[in-house]
Order: sequence, then C-alpha cells, then structure tokens
Amino acid sequence: MGFFVTSLIFVVVGIIASLCTRICCNKGPSTNLFHLTLVITATVCCWMMWAIVYIAQMKPLIVPILSEGE
Amino acid sequence: MGGCCPPMDLFRSEPMQLVQIIIPIESAHLTVSYLGDLGLLQFKDLNSEKSPFQRTYATQIKRAGEMARKLRFFKDQMLKAGLPPTKSRRQADLNVDDLEVKLGELEAELIEINANGEKLQRSYNELLEYKLVLQKAGEFFHSAESSARSQQRDESRHTGDDALDTPLLVDQESSTDPSKQVKLGFLTGLVPRGKSLAFERILFRATRGNVFLRQAVVENPVTDPVTGEKIEKNVFVVFYSGERAKNKILKICDAFGANRYPFTEDLSKQAQTINEVAGKLSELKTTIDIGVSHRESLLQTIGEHYEQWNHLARKEKAIHHTLNMLSLDVTKKCLVAEGWSPIFASKQIQEALQRAAFDSNSQVGAIFQVLHTKEAPPTYFRTNKFTSSFQEIVDAYGVAKYQEANPAVYTIITFPFLFAVMFGDWGHGLCLLLATLYLIVRERKFSNEKLGDIMEMAFGGRYVILLMSIFSIYTGFIYNEFFSVPFELFGRSAYACRDLSCRDATTAGLIKVGPTYPFGLDPVWHGSRSELPFLNSLKMKMSILIGVVQMNLGIVISYFNAKFFQNGLNVWFQFVPQLIFLNSLFGYLSVLIVMKWWTGSKVDLYHVMIYMFLSPTDELGENQLFSGQKTVQLVLLGLALIAVPWMLLPKPFLMKKQHEASHQGQSYALLESTEESLQVNSNHDAHGHEEFEFSEIFVHQLIHTIEFVLGAVSNTASYLRLWALSLAHSELSSVFYDKVLVMAFGFNNWVIRIVGILVFVCATVGVLLLMETLSAFLHALRLHWVEFQNKFYEGDGYKFYPFSFVLHDDEDE
Repeated sequence: MGFFVTSLIFVVVGIIASLCTRICCNKGPSTNLFHLTLVITATVCCWMMWAIVYIAQMKPLIVPILSEGE
Repeated sequence: MGGCCPPMDLFRSEPMQLVQIIIPIESAHLTVSYLGDLGLLQFKDLNSEKSPFQRTYATQIKRAGEMARKLRFFKDQMLKAGLPPTKSRRQADLNVDDLEVKLGELEAELIEINANGEKLQRSYNELLEYKLVLQKAGEFFHSAESSARSQQRDESRHTGDDALDTPLLVDQESSTDPSKQVKLGFLTGLVPRGKSLAFERILFRATRGNVFLRQAVVENPVTDPVTGEKIEKNVFVVFYSGERAKNKILKICDAFGANRYPFTEDLSKQAQTINEVAGKLSELKTTIDIGVSHRESLLQTIGEHYEQWNHLARKEKAIHHTLNMLSLDVTKKCLVAEGWSPIFASKQIQEALQRAAFDSNSQVGAIFQVLHTKEAPPTYFRTNKFTSSFQEIVDAYGVAKYQEANPAVYTIITFPFLFAVMFGDWGHGLCLLLATLYLIVRERKFSNEKLGDIMEMAFGGRYVILLMSIFSIYTGFIYNEFFSVPFELFGRSAYACRDLSCRDATTAGLIKVGPTYPFGLDPVWHGSRSELPFLNSLKMKMSILIGVVQMNLGIVISYFNAKFFQNGLNVWFQFVPQLIFLNSLFGYLSVLIVMKWWTGSKVDLYHVMIYMFLSPTDELGENQLFSGQKTVQLVLLGLALIAVPWMLLPKPFLMKKQHEASHQGQSYALLESTEESLQVNSNHDAHGHEEFEFSEIFVHQLIHTIEFVLGAVSNTASYLRLWALSLAHSELSSVFYDKVLVMAFGFNNWVIRIVGILVFVCATVGVLLLMETLSAFLHALRLHWVEFQNKFYEGDGYKFYPFSFVLHDDEDE
C-alpha cells in the first residue's frame, strides 16, 4: 500500500465518519457544521501524523543497527 | 463564517441584546421568580451607586438572611443529633411569610428544648458527681473510722499497760488549752485528675501545710456538669482548720474547677442522702429521655421539610437581590429592569412575563423592549456536557470577546491530539480509556456525590480525558508502542539482513528490502542502536510540521474574525503579512523537511536555513534540494522582510484616516439631526465615544508586530516540546519495561517476578499514567493558550451569567 492509497483510505474514513455524524445526530444546520468541523479536524490530524511517520520511513538515511545482544 | 454556510455552533457567541423590562410593582416578585426559572437573562445593576442598605428591598434581604441563618441552625442541630435532612420531594405549597413565621416558632421551640435539656443534663451530671462523692468519701470516712477505732483499741490497751508510768504526762498532753483547740472542718468534691497534683501542692502551700487531703480515683471518666465533657476525676476530701483556711481552700477549688458537694459525717444521714440522690437521678433520667425523644421528633419533622424550605429561602433571597438591581420608576408604581439576553430567548422571556402578569392578577402586563447600545454584550456559548469542559479550558485563559471566533471549536480535537503526540502509547491509552469510561458510565452516580479535589477535576474533565485517551491509542499505534513493546500488527517489517549470514546486522545495519511499513513506526527500530537518532530526527521534524500547521490555522482564524467584524484593515495589513512572514520562513522549512524525506536526499537543512539568512546569494552547492532553490529563497526572504513593515506601518495611519473621516461624518450628522436623535446620541456617547490617540495606536501596533515576528521563531521552537515529551515518555516506559519487568522475569524465582510486576505496575501508574499525563496535559495547554491562541484570540470579553435558580443552588453547595 503506497502513500496515496492509504491517504485515500483516510479521506474515505473521514467522509464515512462525517456521514455517520450527519445521520446519527442531525440537529440542525449549525450543529451539523460544527460536527463536520470536528470530524475534518480529527481526520486531518490523524492523517498528518500518519503521513509524517510514513514519509520519514520511505527513503531512510539511517538504517536500524541491531544491538549486540540480539 | 461566510455567507455560504449557516453559523456554526460554538464558533461565535450567541447574538445578545440589551433588553428593558418595565414591570408593575405588584407582579415584580413573581416576574423575577419566573425569569429565574427560565435562566436566560442577566440583570444589570441599575443601582450600583447605592449601598446595600439604601436599596429598596434591603429589609426583605435581611429577612431572607435571617431565615437562612435559622435553617443553618437547624442543619447544625440535625447534624449534631445525627439526623441528616432526608430527601423528600413532597412539594407542599408554602408561602414565604408562613415559612418565616414557622421557622421563627420552630427556632424558639428548639432553643427552649435545648436550654431545658441542658439544664436537666447539668443537674443530672451534678447529681452523678454528688453520688460519686458520697460513695468515695463515705468509704474514706468508714475506713478512717474503723482504723481509728482499732488504733484506739491498741492505744487503750497500751495505756492500760503503762498506766502506772505515765499518767501525768498523758493528762498534760491531752488537756491542752481548750481555747486553742480548733474544730476541724472538711470539704468534699471532685477535681480533674490532670490537675490533682497541682491542686494538692497549691493547697499545701496556701495553708502552709495545715491541711489534710485525701484523694480517691474514680475509675470511669465523669461528665463535667459545666463543660459537658467527659473527664477523668478524683474525689477529694480536704480537712482544714480555721475559717481563713476554709476561704482559701474555697478559692483554690474554684480556680481549679473542682466542684464541691456537701457531705455529712452522720452515717444515717449519709444513707438517706444516697437514697434521695438515687431517686432524683432516676427521675431526671426519665425526664431527660422524654426531652430527647421530643427533640428528635421535632428535628425529624424539620429534616423532612428542610430541603424544600432551604430552596425556598434561597430563592427568596435571590429574587430580592435581583429586585434590588432594578430601578424604581418615578411614579413608584413600576420597576425598570435592564439586562442582557440571547436574542433567541426573547420569546420565552415574553411568555414568562405574560404568565407572571396573569398569575399575579396584575391589571397591566410588563413591557418588554430591546435597547440599542454600543456597550459590549457578554459572551454566551451554548455548551453541553461534552463541549463545556473544552470551553472551560479556553475560558481559563480568557473569555472570548463578544462574537469573536471561539478556539474551543478546534481545541476539542487539537488539544487531545497534541496531548497524544506527547503520550503516544496504546497500552497507556487503553488504561486511561478504561478509567475515564468508568467515570462516564457512573456519571449519574458521581454527579450527585461530593468528590475529592482531584477526583472532582478528573470527573469534570472526563470527556477531555476520553478524547485524550482515544487519540493516545491512535498515536500509540503510530509510534508502535504498547507499554513500550512494538507489535507487527500492520504487516511485515520493511528491513532485513543484507545477506543470509546476517553478519553486518550489528555493525552496518539492516537494509530496506520491502515496501515501507504501512502504518506507523517499523517495529524493527525498537531496541536497535540507531533507534534514538532516528526517533529524534523524526519527532523533532514532526513537531515543527505540526506546529507550523497549527499556527497557520490560528492565522486563518484571525482572517475569519476580520471578515466577521468587517475589518478590511486587519485582513490586508495583519492577516496577509502574517501569513506571508510565517510561511516564507517556517512554511518553507516544512516544505524542505517533507521534500527531504520524499526524495531521500542528504541535504543539511540546518545549513540551508542558516545560510538563507547569512549569505542568501551564495550558491547552495551540494545542499541544493531542487533547481532554482536560490531564487526561491531570495524571493521568500524578500517577502519576509517586506512583511514586517507591512504589518507595522500602514495600519495605524489608515486607522487615523478612517477615524478622521468618521468623525467628520458624525459632526455633520449631528447638525442635521432632530432633537430626539440628539438625545439618543448623548445617551450612548457615554459609552461609545472614544478618544483617538495616534501614538498609542502606533505603539500598540509596534508591540504587536515585534511580538509576532519574534513569536514566529520562539513559538516554532516551543512546539519542540512535543518532541521532548514524547521522547521522555517512550524512554521512561521502555526503562520500566526493560529494567524492571524483563529483568525480574530473567530470574527463575517467583517472588522476584511478583515483586517485579508490582514495581512495574506502580511505576507505570504513578509515573506514566499520573505524572506524565499531567505534564503532557499542561504542555498541550500551553501550546493552545500561547502558541495557537495568540495568533487570533483577544479573550477580553466577559461571560454571560444569567439569573437562574439552578445556578444559584449549585453555587451555594
């Protein structure tokens, strides 16, 4: 799974989550917008964290050197 | 937000209005009561210049205070008697005046019962002491008499033997001068045992040894009639001679709190007194018992109504307190109220007014009208139990200015997220989650209980902790740590030995053979020698990326604010240059970081960034990451340099120009206006008119600019705390795991293993789950308050405190 495929999964999960909040607690346009903001913020945060760690490992400059004991 | 979207919940304060209500005086009480039930109106104090005693309803408040005092007295009495007020929901309709009378009666009755009971108890205790004295002193006299008698017998035998030798001498001695022979008197009583030694010494000194004191220990502690406390005491009998000695002894007895009791030498009289005392005692006992049961039943009836009465008395006090804030109309027939209310509440308020007018049979209803003012309204966010704790995090820094963008909307996610970046371990996250789930499941039970300070705090923030734990489980998966142990959950590690023999694995290291580990950190890093350099580099860069993104979010919100308040100046001379400044330096750094990772190049980013400032025209050489980098850097540096004066200079001058223009416009309008609008203007000028001081504005802008420019650097550096804390957390947990748990299991001894487990659990809970949680919480708090909010948040508003009985009840308890 490459970078873009997983990113796409994040987008899909975000969309599903926002649809879920829309369906489960539909309390008027203002509240829906609030919930949407929350879901988007959460998705972006999670994606960013994952993306940073993923990209950092794509082309490693440092490689793992096992300890003597192992 | 813009015109495209509906207003977002919680993003801005509810629109507020200043309303004026004119209430006929006969329905004022009921109206205020109904408004308090509604709880959507914050009354303004219109009599702030009057002292509490000069106000209209001062006497009523005093009466309500008196009622509260009586209720407190009842509560004290009930608690002392061990009869806590029972929760009864029996709502008998009760008038306040009736309640006052009733409370007065009950208080008088209770005080009388108490006084009587005390008197009876006192005489009962006295009698008890008397009885003890009678017993002990009786014993003493009895033994003394018998020993005297035996001595006499001895002596008589003795004198009989020697009668021949010394009759004359004996006679001489015994027949001393009858005028000098003094009759011995005595006093009996009880003295506290602790003081008995001192008592004896003082007696001895005061009478120069001319006394004879006997003490007998009373085995059980005795209730002192004066203080009502149980004390250990001694019965004493003191013999003295002479009136002066007696007076001295009496004084000493008083000083030592020694109670004296009459005692007769006569044996038959003694028996009689004992009988009398016993009879009186049993009589008193029954009287006291009846009194106590009467008091208990009285307190019980009070206890049944206590809650209701207390509620009523408090409500009464709150109502009159509010009524005191209203101003009396000139005709003295109406009260005028002013207050803030959310616009959506207008209808509910009007309904309440109508109901009050109807219920109080008032001929005229209250008049409700909206006032226009330039005064800043209070800030009111409609929160629920989930959002309120996040709102409190923001409010603790400062309450939002009226209708300013509320950072709580983003804080709900970003706060737990930043916490989790520092607390990434899904084992610890699970522990936290279980703890907070327990709090949430037992929510109803806990919310009715009084909890300890720390527990109260944890319970109040249970939803914050819930999100914190969920995010730390997520980041725990990213960091691949479960109590610092990695798992290969998302596929195989991307690294393998260079060859089959694996000789190089501990010197040159493994090489990447497969696709990148799909989710989170490759488990192979754990325990390897290059783990720390790799994690340091990764987490440091991650903190900068996260920080730059969050600061950009803050600047974007400042754009929404400027847009909302239609402040074009802030868009063009604050938002735009700020965005350019931050991104041309640290945005560029972030891009470089990502590019370096993406391409796997060995460029030294420190070098690039430092020489971008020191010698921007030099060739980058081997540190070039993309073609044309030099030009791009020159442009960015230029933009950053332009952005500083752009932020500083135009805004104050433009503000001055704007002010002059509007001022001119105003003076023209005044000339043309009619008398009516003149009045309106003069009314509002008091609040609305402000002097324009150019130097002040300029200095303000200067400070703001300096703060932003320096802040861009220091705030970015401040985000590095994410790196430091997350590293500290993972190192600590791996130390606990390796050095305690694994080492203990290295021994083949069950005792050591169990001790190891215990130490591991204690360290994990105490250090990682409690202390680390607290420190990560505080650092996340700081990042939000300072680094995020200083980009857009003014926080100089004041909170909307509606007059509400529900809130009053909570506050007092």
